[in-house]
Amino acid sequence: MNRTVLLVGVFIAAALVVVLFFGLGKDPQAIDSPLIGRPAPNFALREVGTGRTISLDEFKGRPVVLNFWATWCGPCWEEHPTLVANARAMQPGVQFLGVVFQDNEDKIQKFLRDRGHAYPTVVDDAGKTAIAYGVGGVPETFFLDKTGKVVAKYTGPLDTGLLQANLQKAVQQ
Amino acid sequence: MNAILGRVLVLAALLVSTGGAVIGFAAGRTRSQEGLKWAQRFAFAFAFLMIAATAVMEYALLTHDFSVSYVAHVGSLATPTWVTVASLWSSLEGSILFWGCVLGIYVAIATWLTRHDYHEYMPDAIGVWLACAAFFSFLIAGPANPFLSVAAAPDGPGPNPLLQNHILMVIHPPFLYLGYVGMTIPFGFACAALIKGRLGHALLKPMRESLMLPWVFLTIAIMLGGWWAYEVLGWGGYWAWDPVENASLLPWLTATAALHSMVVLERRGVLKGWTVTLIQATFLLTILGTFMTRSGVFNSVHSFTQSAIGPTILAFLAAALIFSIALLAMRIDLLEAEGNFEGAVSREGMFLFNNLMFVILTFTVLIGTTFPLLVEAVKGKQMSVGRPYFDSMVVPVGAVLLFLLGVGPALPWGRATKEKIRRALLPPIAGAVVLLAAGYAFGVRNPWTLLTLAFGGYAAQVTLSQMWMPLVKRLRGGDSFSKAFFDGQLGRGRRRFASYIVHAGAVVVFIAIAISSTMRYTQEVHFAKGQTVNVGAYSLTLLNVFDRPEPNRVATVAQIAVAKNGVQKAVLEPRMNQYLGMREPIGTPDVYSTIGGDFYLSVMNIDPAGQSVAVNAIITPFVGWIWIAVVVMGLGGLMALIPVRPVATAFKPVPADAKQYGKEVVAG
Repeated sequence: MNRTVLLVGVFIAAALVVVLFFGLGKDPQAIDSPLIGRPAPNFALREVGTGRTISLDEFKGRPVVLNFWATWCGPCWEEHPTLVANARAMQPGVQFLGVVFQDNEDKIQKFLRDRGHAYPTVVDDAGKTAIAYGVGGVPETFFLDKTGKVVAKYTGPLDTGLLQANLQKAVQQ
Repeated sequence: MNAILGRVLVLAALLVSTGGAVIGFAAGRTRSQEGLKWAQRFAFAFAFLMIAATAVMEYALLTHDFSVSYVAHVGSLATPTWVTVASLWSSLEGSILFWGCVLGIYVAIATWLTRHDYHEYMPDAIGVWLACAAFFSFLIAGPANPFLSVAAAPDGPGPNPLLQNHILMVIHPPFLYLGYVGMTIPFGFACAALIKGRLGHALLKPMRESLMLPWVFLTIAIMLGGWWAYEVLGWGGYWAWDPVENASLLPWLTATAALHSMVVLERRGVLKGWTVTLIQATFLLTILGTFMTRSGVFNSVHSFTQSAIGPTILAFLAAALIFSIALLAMRIDLLEAEGNFEGAVSREGMFLFNNLMFVILTFTVLIGTTFPLLVEAVKGKQMSVGRPYFDSMVVPVGAVLLFLLGVGPALPWGRATKEKIRRALLPPIAGAVVLLAAGYAFGVRNPWTLLTLAFGGYAAQVTLSQMWMPLVKRLRGGDSFSKAFFDGQLGRGRRRFASYIVHAGAVVVFIAIAISSTMRYTQEVHFAKGQTVNVGAYSLTLLNVFDRPEPNRVATVAQIAVAKNGVQKAVLEPRMNQYLGMREPIGTPDVYSTIGGDFYLSVMNIDPAGQSVAVNAIITPFVGWIWIAVVVMGLGGLMALIPVRPVATAFKPVPADAKQYGKEVVAG
């Protein structure tokens, strides 16, 4: 029995396996946003259909689900029914708001006509709001508590379970 | 029907591999010849069943049998046939099945080639192979089963669009699997040597050859991956230290180290335990790499999203680690050295340094790759280890390796006089000076690149003279050229000649990486239709911007004429592809390649309505040489594998108890 080999081997193997084991349950898509725990950047953008300017400040006092999406994004189609159904069930206690970027208004209107809508959608023409929120791709969803603070962020398409779990954090505060 | 047949075949493979592993280990203990025969039969049976199961899956894919879960998941009536064939490895479950098939082929060939030889080691070796086979059969039969029966849909979604974006994405994975899976075979030999507590000279040949073949595949696979990234991802680079790129590099580093330490073992009878350790590490790192790609733990362009099989692979990795370490600790002292080292400034001394450098590189890359996980586990914070860490750590070690690539082969084996050493080391300085001066004249100023050129010039001269010196000697001795060449370079000295071909390729790779990464010129260009803009010696004219709808995507294309000194060289079409089902559009660059370098255009922003684009223009000298030189390395490796004498005599049975050191003279 060579003790040096055994000790060195066990040390390397144990370190490696333990680190990988802790990595297991984690979702590499769930990237921490530096915005979490901070006030959400305010914006005032044009609403699709009405042309009215909507600013985020209007919704202070209730939790907000802020969903960045685009019509050219497949996973956004996938999660759209989830968002609409949950919004119908939870509004006005919880405010849902869609922000579309890198897109054109005709396509957005057609999308909402075909697939249903239950909450306001605004257009981020210059992409400045997406940059302020550090959006890397769509869909990305931010969960704001009633004081307007970001409490959670999810990257990728939501299902009802994920949406409720993240929203729970926003409601508790 | 296909689903049931597939499941039955996979279950049978699981049964046969488990049984064969048990029989193999038992036969190894009892030294039963009859047991070995049965282990061999089980090995062939496993191979047959796995290949048959894969054939059933290919048949189901090609006939669009959407009642098979995997076909329902990746198949589509609209995809072209070549994509359908390749979709076997486009998604998790299919890729594991393909893995099993490749393992079956390897196990069958290795068992067949060794059927008359190495009886002392073979039962345990087959036992180890089939134990690995049992694990992968279990994965396919259980957590990653591609043969589940589902309600047949009329059509499916088709494979991952990235697979369809470039032909390289279709050939890169098979090469990678051939490299990864093949490492199971030398692992089996190494474990068998440890179990027996003996590593005779005879076993070195199958060990070396079974390591060399997957090494060739892995080398090519790594290059294909880099080339794909360069041609498709649009940032103009070929290597980003992405965790999964690192995963393919890690076993390559230890395998390369093992190939070198084996030369010393062959010549001097030392480094037995060390070589065996490197081979084991290589196999374990391929399993780690599989875990990295399949578990979803690492965020990467390669990640398969489902992570259900992560824990199973981790459990296998842990078991294989425990097995390997226990075996090493118990048996390494039995592998006695049969020779000794003489002097540090010698060929074998340089081999030792070479091994040290490869191990340092392995740990550097391994720590950099897993460190973010460690930090997150301990402190709960997310972080990433980026280029600066890897570049600053790897570049100096790489420089030392290139230095050794020149100095090592120049030095004689064993103890040598100072005079002899001086005579060996001084002449190649001429090569170093020539390349350094040439580089300086062409405007190279980066100190690391200049150093690379100097070391590279030195290594080039050493390599070339080592390649042709034996030929020159024979010609002087009165041999005709054809006799000297076919007998020397391609005959008895072929392995030596081949290894210098690999070295020559490596020297070019080093130089091409240094130049292409430090002498890149990048310029952002914004222009509208009809406008012309100068980039370096080139001038670009935007001809057109248009949408091109294709069945699975919409491509927005910018058509740009590239001219040099007023002469049009090419019309490039960089574009943005928007796939349905992807979160972001994928930019696809276009490249105009020449011997001296590439002119590369990738779209940053494209506006078909306004007929204007913003493109990134990148001029990268020498980059194409990387792909060419890596292919040369691979060919050199293959050349070393061709048997010197006809196969029939090369595989002559060796008595199990023969002590062979010093009896067999190695060519060169």
